[in-house]
Amino acid sequence: MKVIVIEQDRCLACRNCERACSFKDPFGPIHEKANIWVHIDMNERIIFTMTCQQCETASCLEICPSGAIFRDLVTGAVVVNNTLCVGCRMCVNACPFGYIHFDEIYSVAAKCDLCKGDPKCVKNCMAKALHYCDINDLAAVKRERQLFKQPGFQKEHIEDEG
Amino acid sequence: MRVKTIVPSGVVPTLCRMCETRCAINVHINNNYMTEISPLEGHPVNQGRICPRGGAALDLFYHPDRILKPLKRMSDGSFKEIPYSLALDEIIGKMSTLKSDYGARSVGVWKGEGLGFYQQEDYARRFIHGFGSPNYFSNDSACYNGRYIGYHLVCGFWNSYPAFDQAGLIILLGSNPPICHPPFMREFADARSKGAKLVMIDPRLNPVACYADVFAQPYPGTDCALVWGLIRYLIKTNNYDEDIVNNNTIGFDKILAYAKKFTPEYVEQQTGIFADVVEEIALLIIKNRPKTSIFPGAGLEHNENGVNCVRALAILSCLIGALGWPSGLWRPEMLGIRSLTLYDELPMDDQGPIGADKFPVLYDIRKECHTMTAMDYMLGNGAYPLKGIILTAANPAVSNPNTAKVEKALSNLDLLVVSDFFMTKTARLAHYILPAATFLEREELHFYPTRHRVNLTSKVARTEGIKTEYQLWHNLAHGLGFGDKYFPWKNEKDVNKWLLEPSGLTVEKLRRHPQGYAYKPVEYQKHLIDKLNTPSGKLEFASPYLKKLGLPEIPEYLPPYYLAKADDNYPFILTTGARKSLLYHSRHQNIPRFRNVHPEAEMEIHPADASDLGIEDGEAVKVISETGTLIIRAAVKKSVELRQGVVEIYHGWEDWRVNFLTCDTINDPISGFPLLKGVPVRIEKIE
Repeated sequence: MKVIVIEQDRCLACRNCERACSFKDPFGPIHEKANIWVHIDMNERIIFTMTCQQCETASCLEICPSGAIFRDLVTGAVVVNNTLCVGCRMCVNACPFGYIHFDEIYSVAAKCDLCKGDPKCVKNCMAKALHYCDINDLAAVKRERQLFKQPGFQKEHIEDEG
Repeated sequence: MRVKTIVPSGVVPTLCRMCETRCAINVHINNNYMTEISPLEGHPVNQGRICPRGGAALDLFYHPDRILKPLKRMSDGSFKEIPYSLALDEIIGKMSTLKSDYGARSVGVWKGEGLGFYQQEDYARRFIHGFGSPNYFSNDSACYNGRYIGYHLVCGFWNSYPAFDQAGLIILLGSNPPICHPPFMREFADARSKGAKLVMIDPRLNPVACYADVFAQPYPGTDCALVWGLIRYLIKTNNYDEDIVNNNTIGFDKILAYAKKFTPEYVEQQTGIFADVVEEIALLIIKNRPKTSIFPGAGLEHNENGVNCVRALAILSCLIGALGWPSGLWRPEMLGIRSLTLYDELPMDDQGPIGADKFPVLYDIRKECHTMTAMDYMLGNGAYPLKGIILTAANPAVSNPNTAKVEKALSNLDLLVVSDFFMTKTARLAHYILPAATFLEREELHFYPTRHRVNLTSKVARTEGIKTEYQLWHNLAHGLGFGDKYFPWKNEKDVNKWLLEPSGLTVEKLRRHPQGYAYKPVEYQKHLIDKLNTPSGKLEFASPYLKKLGLPEIPEYLPPYYLAKADDNYPFILTTGARKSLLYHSRHQNIPRFRNVHPEAEMEIHPADASDLGIEDGEAVKVISETGTLIIRAAVKKSVELRQGVVEIYHGWEDWRVNFLTCDTINDPISGFPLLKGVPVRIEKIE
């Protein structure tokens, strides 16, 4: 299935993804409203961007007592039904990664729903760090990048371009 | 507001002009209402992506505060709606009176950035010459011109955006690309994935530095010393392009002699960058010659020696051998179209263009007058009176230095006409405010010179009662009697036809290329065939032209004002202008969702400085300079983000105008740029 795939070493922390995500909401962009997160540690100079990976066995979905969390059959996304959600927060406790959170304004669980298969964060990623694709595409990109690191390959490649 | 869209429902491709990047977008229309902006696939600039700023173009278009009818200021200071034809008649009447009483040059035009200019700039330039005045002013006199002039003095050209993705080493100075040039992020990442190195030089740490191989934090305004240190290192170790030096340059001997004193130790003493870091950068350059991209941001321009720093960088690029490489320096060629300016047909050089005596290079190279000197003319302290300004979407009451003086000067005018979307701080001072058209309401040619590409934008919508920029100048010119001669075209489409005629391209053809039309392949080695556009036809490491004007022949380094004239009363150095991701200078503050992200102005300060002053994060403080005072909240940053002793305030806030603190009399002698990045200030806790 397609998920939001993040090439961490392309992200320069412009935070456009967070903004595009939260701008969908009429209450406006409060950081907590976004369902994608750009973590920036200036002291350590670390940027790490991540969002829900729509787990195959999704703890949030498994634990939900009211059946509010279900899998969208078209996109494969794990989605919260706001009307069914009782606000028990069990899903937030269950997610080992922290990519489902409790929305204080609506008093429901909130997470990435892949924008019904047209994720806004990806469209707004000018660095092309975010992609909407199969996770194995990322693995392929990483394997390809190993090639560049081999001695000789890089030089030859760059020389060819001139 | 009554809006008519180009099609009742559908998708229209055009370019975004919420910032200067100009990404290709699709505007979605449903029942005569524009509902969404999405990226257009296939344009090389944004490659199918956009940013939230572009996505909010419709927030701007349909904004409830948008000015839709002409306004006239009454004697009690309030504004009253008047019919367009009446406003136009009154403005034309006043302009004619000023012309007959004080001469045509008592009136000037001022181009701003708010409308999203491209072609519009030349309408303004054409209009004022047609009127008979040399006085064209613009926002460029505090952004862009400095770099344009710096590169033109050395090379006679400037490819403002090199192909970063083909570089082995990228050096950024005073720039924050994720915010000011979003597509650079993609190019940097492409380059890095092929092993390129990144060096970032900035007094302020921004997230790009997280991926920089070297991040160096100089004292504001000292970059030029670092550049000279690198030049010295390359020459001393014999790692420079001798072919270029021997065949294409003048003045190398002078560079050789001057560079000697810039040892890594001297550079460290001037810039605060450790000597071994200077060497490390030099070694990276040597390893990655000639594929080195150097990008100076606007941060370098706002110093009293900014152009020389840019010139030194251009020389460094030449020594590296970057000339003729896609990632380096090369001469973009323009499409052969007609020009709207009247500099050949109707030159005004002998009419005393304002500031051309003090800053002749600015006028020679950019044909622009000096906005800061204009304030003196407005206040009656110039060689002749400046009584009227027609200003389109500039906001000098926020963005020009010495705000108190700017407000006084603008208030002293007999006629201030402001064409804008909103009631800006500048518009409040106007006698007449004319409603302006957004980029979605006009058709114009856009060039991407470094990609040899041209686009024609679409007139996606028309708003009742709002004239386009062309109509404004056209109507004024016809009312003033020079319309038939200089503005004969009925509408923008006719102008574009006339402009394109010699190129063989047509409006219709460009319409079929929303992804842009590449007018010719880029010839990176073009400089080898043709003479360069400098007085000598060569790369001018030393400029006889500047020498003749009494300016330094080579780009000498001068220690910044605050170091040269240290004053214990003002122990902090204020830099202004670091960008905010959703704002565009003074624009977009009135878009509520943007304002949630950037709610209020703040002064960034080092934690040690804050603790010395007893200031907590979020506490209001008083900032005092020789020019003025500002009360603002302190934002205590991490110690790595700023140098101790340096504070930073954004330049565009309408309600916290940092330019009350900056002064208009310390200028770069070449570009005339104001000192905005090294202002001595004192900070007081408010008890």
